[in-house]
Amino acid sequence: MDDRQWARVRSDFPVLKRKINGRPIVYLDSACMALKPRQVISAMNEYYEQFPACAGRSIHRLGEEASNAYSEAREKFARFINAAKPGECIWTRNATESLNLVANSVRIPKGSKIVTTSLEHHSGSLPFVERAKKSGLKLEVIKARDDGTFDIEDWKRALDSTTKLVSIVHSSNVTGTLAPLKEIVEIAHDRGAVVVSDDAQYAPHHPLDVQHLDVDLSAISVHKMCGPTGMGVLYGKMDLLESMDMFLVGGNTVSDVKFEDGRIVPSYLPPPQKFEAGLQNYAGAIGAGAAAEYLQKIGMHEVEKRERQLLRIMLEGLKELGPVHVLGPDDLNLRTGLATFVIDTVESAHDIATFLNDRYAVMIRSGWHCVGPFHYQLGIPPSKGTARASIYIYNNETDISTFLRGLRALVEQTS
Amino acid sequence: MSTLSRNAQCVLKILEAGSLLTTSMILELARRAEYAAICKGCAGGDTFVIAANQLVERGLITRKLGKGGYHWQIVRG
Repeated sequence: MDDRQWARVRSDFPVLKRKINGRPIVYLDSACMALKPRQVISAMNEYYEQFPACAGRSIHRLGEEASNAYSEAREKFARFINAAKPGECIWTRNATESLNLVANSVRIPKGSKIVTTSLEHHSGSLPFVERAKKSGLKLEVIKARDDGTFDIEDWKRALDSTTKLVSIVHSSNVTGTLAPLKEIVEIAHDRGAVVVSDDAQYAPHHPLDVQHLDVDLSAISVHKMCGPTGMGVLYGKMDLLESMDMFLVGGNTVSDVKFEDGRIVPSYLPPPQKFEAGLQNYAGAIGAGAAAEYLQKIGMHEVEKRERQLLRIMLEGLKELGPVHVLGPDDLNLRTGLATFVIDTVESAHDIATFLNDRYAVMIRSGWHCVGPFHYQLGIPPSKGTARASIYIYNNETDISTFLRGLRALVEQTS
Repeated sequence: MSTLSRNAQCVLKILEAGSLLTTSMILELARRAEYAAICKGCAGGDTFVIAANQLVERGLITRKLGKGGYHWQIVRG
């Protein structure tokens, strides 16, 4: 795609027409929340304006239209990640809920081991910390290198025949590092373990093919991929989903609920319904389908290529600034489109974000990005934190140069 | 004027005790036992900085950029 086509993509995002204090918005916080294109907003509005009814329950015309749109959304999402069947995609509220569902529902014998890493988002580690405590399991934490990469030998050592579950972040929201997921899945399967991959940062920025990776479970946040807030997906291989316990139960999860000899006796539906209790976020699911379709039309290889082009400019610019230290490896092929950094002349990363926002309408994230253990590993206390600028499909070279100009001014004024 | 949030009250209390504090100093103090009753945000500090910026907008504290970053001070009298 050329610059003209990317400019057309940018024009799909209404919020980018806003100015703040006379300045155009430079939005570099997509690793937290992606902006929404009008195609996604329209799809959700269409639900609310044309068929705001219950899907899969009501037999009237509006119910039928809602049911069709809802099931089409699941099909679109399954195509987006190349799932074998739409039913392997379960709607959740976000990747955090998907990971909690996995931690609470996968059957693991007492005395077995769960393996995770020091690079995980709190949502990728804490559900498993708690599960291990609750079920008397061992939890082993593989330490990432300080640049966010892994030594594959550590995985070969840590994963043994007692390992039943592995939780690994596919693309780090701090270093941007891509994990060698296919290799890790092979090792895990060899030992008899299943792998859940935290794809919250990977799915929006790279082509995700769950069948090619052979990953067992994958957690995705839709709000990071141009979709609505409060929507997530858990992908799982069907046979594994069938073997898992329910997380939430209630309406919509059952094929029958009998009353026998004074007892309530439920029979549950197969996946995905057994995991989707209660009235669902239909508009959200339709928005998720629209977001998946929107990104697929652009092409995820194109998205990845574009982000790496902009990331290269950003990283080169950051290096030229002097007292700026970027986390993560130099090799762009090992990275997703974000740069997390500290500046020697600025004590707290929050000051970087505040300055850029106030003076340049440049929006980045600061803090520890819900990855406390890795910040402690690097010796960065929460009060200092790191600053993170993250790139997406609507960013352009002007955004990057405004960001770098702002940082240059900040370094001058704080030196 | 709406009631101050708990995080804003935390920042105000910390600044009442000190003269000119950096962002890091405020965040470190917020985690000390003496402020534990009022300062309950996440260690990452985002919520305190958001609250501090709201206090600036309300004219209750000031923020000045200098060597090392921002320095915060309460507006007295």
